[in-house]
Amino acid sequence: MLQVEDLHAGYGASEVLTGTTLTVKQGTLVALIGANGAGKTTTMRAISGGLKPSRGKVLLDGQEVQGLDASRIARLGLAHSPEGRKVFGPLSVEDNLLLGAYSRLPRFFGYHAQAKTDLDRVYDLFPRLRDRTRQSAGTLSGGEQQMLAIGRALMARPKVMLLDEPSMGLAPVIVQEVFRTIRRLKEEGITLLLVEQFAKSALEVADYAYVMERGRIAVEGTPAELGRNERVLAAYLG
Amino acid sequence: MNAQIIGQMAVSGALMGLVYALIAYGFQLTFATSKSINFGQGELVMISAFFSLTLTNLGFPYWAMVPGGLLFGALMGLVVERAGVRLALEQKSEGWILLSIIIGLFFFSAAENIWGRDDRPFPTPISADPIHILGVDVTRLELSVAVGVFAIMGLIELFKRRTLLGKAFEAVSADRDAAELMGISSTRTVMLSYGLSGSVAALAGILVSPITTVGPTMASALILKAFSVAVVAGLDSGFGVVLVGMFLGALESLASFYLGSGWREAPGLILLILALALRPNGVFGKATIRKV
Repeated sequence: MLQVEDLHAGYGASEVLTGTTLTVKQGTLVALIGANGAGKTTTMRAISGGLKPSRGKVLLDGQEVQGLDASRIARLGLAHSPEGRKVFGPLSVEDNLLLGAYSRLPRFFGYHAQAKTDLDRVYDLFPRLRDRTRQSAGTLSGGEQQMLAIGRALMARPKVMLLDEPSMGLAPVIVQEVFRTIRRLKEEGITLLLVEQFAKSALEVADYAYVMERGRIAVEGTPAELGRNERVLAAYLG
Repeated sequence: MNAQIIGQMAVSGALMGLVYALIAYGFQLTFATSKSINFGQGELVMISAFFSLTLTNLGFPYWAMVPGGLLFGALMGLVVERAGVRLALEQKSEGWILLSIIIGLFFFSAAENIWGRDDRPFPTPISADPIHILGVDVTRLELSVAVGVFAIMGLIELFKRRTLLGKAFEAVSADRDAAELMGISSTRTVMLSYGLSGSVAALAGILVSPITTVGPTMASALILKAFSVAVVAGLDSGFGVVLVGMFLGALESLASFYLGSGWREAPGLILLILALALRPNGVFGKATIRKV
């Protein structure tokens, strides 16, 4: 569903990605782990169009999307829940969710009725958001904002969802909740690429994983295989 | 007697101040989406007023002339965005400042060549006879300014809150990159904001022209004061511009009455300097924290 081939990207003269290659098959959860600064978030941004890759290919459902505007890639079916959540603070919880489905809703009126089923689905997944529909997103707690960011990405009914550091800055109890949510998304058959600091938890939910080092994939394999790899064990799972 | 004069001066000044507020509101629209403003906005006011005058002279009735003028203003706003602002924003430069001034100068020369240098009256069906309200005399013409200003600001705010496109506008204002990830094109949203801002400028021209006359230089004083209002209230203050605009308008009118008409421009400039020194984010603005 998502294929990344020999991706190069960076900021100005400094190249961060030096040939990343990875594949996310339909209905699977793939984890991308690695140390800080290895290029995980840069990979995500280069896939979703926030950063223009200087070389390489990104194929979404067989279609080349590298170099397109982020909004265009989003309309083609990629939902990216970014690092740091990036909810629209001044807007209400419900408005945030509605905007998640922006590309397939009418622009002026009647959008709410059309989004009803998707809204209910997100509220069933995150009952706490249902109690706060009118509250502005900026006043939510970190955990709630993360739920909102995931819910907003779900609203798009994406072909592929990128989830960047969903546990960042959250209390351990909330982190557990986030991982329960990720597991549920997986059970629903959503195709996911997950970037995580908590490599161990990520490998517990993933079907396949890539380990990034200095801008490229160093090791890859199923979680079981990586669990037997001594280098990975020492560096990330110790 | 004295109190009545003060009241009279304050009220007609405040009504004029609404025009400053409206132009300042136009600044806010583009600042929200792109952190840029059109420094040639005064020329946009002027050229739209001339265009509307031409429509009137061609025999268009008032109700048809107004939407025609607004449409023209929106188109000119889009010209400023496409020919100037976008080029600079794409390179993340501050070149939009100079480019928007240059496009304004171009509009100015175009207006001088097409319509001439003289100030001309702007005919309107709205009566200039005073009516007596709460001890002060106001004309229907002055009231039409208030009605027009509140109508367009109300409509735009309603659009932003009630339509999905409007919410997308707010989303781009809040976080451009995150909005892009939702499939919202920030380029188009910036265009939309320049179009709206152009319409707002055109309406300001249409409302003020019957009172002040139309001429190539009609907007130079207006724009300076609109800018003061925008800075004093804050570029993200929403309806704060209305209060500051009315306050400045009233102050000016009193200054020119008591100190002489030469002092008319003084309050706006003094307020601007005070605001820049004491409250750079504006009286109603939110303090922005720059993340490094």
